[in-house]
Amino acid sequence: MKNSLTFFLGLFFALVLSWAGIVFGAHAQLSRLAPYFDENEGKAFPERMPGIAARGQLVYQDLGCAACHTQQVRRPDFGSDKARGWGERQSVARDYVSQSNVQLGSSRIGPDLANFGARPAAVDAQRLTRYLYDQHGGMPSYRFLFETRKITGERSAQALPVTVPAGREVVPTPRAEALVAYLQSLSNVYEYPEARPVAPVESKEAAK
Amino acid sequence: MTTASSAAPSAEVTAIDASARCPLLLLLGAALLWLVVSGALALLNLLQLSTPSLAADCAVMTFGRTAAMQQTAFLYGWAANAGLAVVLWLLGRLGGSPLRSLNWTVAGALFWNLSVALSLVGIGTGDGASHAWLHLPAYVQPLMLVAYAAMVVPGVLAWTGRRQPMMFAAQWYAVAALVLFPWIFSGAQLMLSFAPERGVLQALVAGWFGQGAWSLWLAPLALAAAYYLVPKVGGRAIPSYDFAILSFWTLIFVGSWTGGRHLIGGPVPAWTITVAGVACVLLLFHYIVVGINLRGAFACGGSTVLRFIALGLGAYLLGGLGDALTAFRGVAVVTQFTHLATAQSQLALTGAFSLTIFGAIYFMVPRLTGQAWPSGSLIRGHFFAALLGTLILIGALAVAGWIQGQDLNNATVSFAAIAAHTQPWLLIAAAGQAVLVVGNGLLLVHLVRAIACRWLKPAPAIFPEAPTMEVSRS
Amino acid sequence: MSDPHPIDPRLEQAGASDESLLAAHEQMLGRKPEDDAHYRKLPLVLLFVFSGLIFYAGTYLNHFSGRYDGATFNENGAPGQAGGATAPVDPLVQGKKNYDQVCITCHQATGLGIPGVYPPLAGSEWVLGSEERLVRIVLHGLKGPVKVKGVEYGAAAMPVFGKVAGSGYNWSDEKIASVLTYVRQSFGNSASAITPAQVSAIHAKEADRKEWTQDELLRLP
Repeated sequence: MKNSLTFFLGLFFALVLSWAGIVFGAHAQLSRLAPYFDENEGKAFPERMPGIAARGQLVYQDLGCAACHTQQVRRPDFGSDKARGWGERQSVARDYVSQSNVQLGSSRIGPDLANFGARPAAVDAQRLTRYLYDQHGGMPSYRFLFETRKITGERSAQALPVTVPAGREVVPTPRAEALVAYLQSLSNVYEYPEARPVAPVESKEAAK
Repeated sequence: MTTASSAAPSAEVTAIDASARCPLLLLLGAALLWLVVSGALALLNLLQLSTPSLAADCAVMTFGRTAAMQQTAFLYGWAANAGLAVVLWLLGRLGGSPLRSLNWTVAGALFWNLSVALSLVGIGTGDGASHAWLHLPAYVQPLMLVAYAAMVVPGVLAWTGRRQPMMFAAQWYAVAALVLFPWIFSGAQLMLSFAPERGVLQALVAGWFGQGAWSLWLAPLALAAAYYLVPKVGGRAIPSYDFAILSFWTLIFVGSWTGGRHLIGGPVPAWTITVAGVACVLLLFHYIVVGINLRGAFACGGSTVLRFIALGLGAYLLGGLGDALTAFRGVAVVTQFTHLATAQSQLALTGAFSLTIFGAIYFMVPRLTGQAWPSGSLIRGHFFAALLGTLILIGALAVAGWIQGQDLNNATVSFAAIAAHTQPWLLIAAAGQAVLVVGNGLLLVHLVRAIACRWLKPAPAIFPEAPTMEVSRS
Repeated sequence: MSDPHPIDPRLEQAGASDESLLAAHEQMLGRKPEDDAHYRKLPLVLLFVFSGLIFYAGTYLNHFSGRYDGATFNENGAPGQAGGATAPVDPLVQGKKNYDQVCITCHQATGLGIPGVYPPLAGSEWVLGSEERLVRIVLHGLKGPVKVKGVEYGAAAMPVFGKVAGSGYNWSDEKIASVLTYVRQSFGNSASAITPAQVSAIHAKEADRKEWTQDELLRLP
């Protein structure tokens, strides 16, 4: 190879090709993906995240929760995702259209959280807050999301039932509250047309 | 070939090395400092896996943040600095004239390393961008792009101003790494930080960037060093050299198509994953040719430089095979999301990249300082620490990952049980990482000693004139 | 290099000069294949490997690309199968969802209504009888007194549900069909299902109608 310019253009062309193929190709298919309006429900899915949950997503991101938790359910016949109760169907692109910072994650040191809000563990905000305070199995405690303060007047309703010196209480910071609201908002229960399992025709008829 | 000419062009140490001394030693020093920092963070991170309470109450040191800081220090601290130092040096040598405009490199390196330090602080305080391979906070990203562009100026000038018009394989890889990285880096910045894509497109862009940064930047940096040093040290021309060019273009054209390989089963269109899997398998051609071309490294004949490169090459080939295997959905259903995926990326980074670059550093530093390394035992110590640490770390992580993957697919095994099953292996991996930190610390100390000796106790070494290479017949 | 003396790791020597390295490799590229006969087996093998990989890539892409469709997430999905067509929604499930959202307020979860105020659906001759009349009641609404199971109701009007002028609900024909099917097959009722096509036919024929009265409905078949 002698000609510098040809070489340089070759490099450029190779990169542009991969960009056009993967990034632009997927962009053309997915960038206009809109929430799915369900006539029967009279609502669009995925539902918009409440403001506090959107703030919680930033907390989730900056603590690097994605280092241990994925947010992507694989289809029922691929892995044990369904059997572990993480979701009845596979996650699809539309599940994420309203999220500003998608946290798919790539490691499952802890369980998947894509459908966490629909699980019994998420129902009680107080319990979930408490869960963040203590260490559970492989999950460290997040005490820096709480503050210990002097009780002024009434004891806060948010105070955790933990032992602290008299006259003091442990309350979640706004960051902890936002994180809990975010975790509760995670749901992929709604079944989009594209999320339905493929080729069930024969099997369904056999089952009937 | 005649070697005698008025300017003594074949003198082994020339003005080319002398002119580059300070800037390149600066890059190497910064690189090794970051390598040790990253190793220490990796050790903490691995220990936190088995002891979650470790530093848990310190927000800066929470698991998710140490993982991101460790990776950032490795990629942008160690790999970028060291890879650039080696590649600038070899471009200068193969270009045949002293590197020009090295002030750009110095200025760029200052801002680059400042940005890396700022990034670690930023990630620690919660500003990380949290994309794989791109945890850098958004506010340092443009600065790093400019700093990188400044750093590579002498390399590009050495390439365009080369004496011999025909380019050698090491030059292809070096130039590709220099010019391709700014493009993928700026593309990723634009599409992830400044005009972010929506939804899962973010994951696809991050995958394109991450795989691109490996196969169009770090892998070519290491390959440039290997393609130069294997024939240079071994004294034999590269066998089957005519295939090297095909192998090079395979990597450049196919490499960044592998972006979707970590998204198997994920919420992205099936074709993006299938294309990535096919790309991983097509790359096997590249790996086969690289293996044939550089097999001279395995007959190292007692050379530490070639020993390091042989280990790096082995890791590179094994990593390529592993990537191709885990790109199949049937394998990925076990290995995805586990420590095995971490082991694979460690095989590429601490295995293939670092070991090859270590080899290059051992060859390059005496030529920059003009004298021998101060201690032979430090070199041997580093070699065995690097060998042992890499093997233990990657082996233990792979076993832990396989166990984890089997357990994850069995819904009756709880996460507590998985943690218990993998814990012994994670502790072994931490031990391997500890050995690596010690070994890399030895190299850092050794480099500092070499630099100190250069100015305190100058003892110029004798570099005999290098023999002329015969054209290989095999 | 078969070097008899050991290599000093502190100062490794080069085995070739840069110039000769560049020159040697340049020479190798310019060489004709006849120059060395035993060298020619490898290109063939590599060519074979390369074409094998390309062939594999083509086949694999052909099988698992999901026709490059942005909405296909399962690589085994045959083309055109990824959409919802393969798994139709059960009208009973959908109908119950709709019933529980709206109808339940008056007609109650039991389908018995509230005596004297809201008429029952369970066992009602209006529900189980003429499909023509039933569809119209939901589509366009019903005003004025109505006699159900021998009891006169007149306190409340049935609202307009269809996509017609003056509707507060704007339900699609499918939605109406599903809720009617649910009503006809629940609360102990068992009558035939109502298809969306039936609703659409009436909707198309009488697009801009006001609420019906009992007498008007009774004139229909």
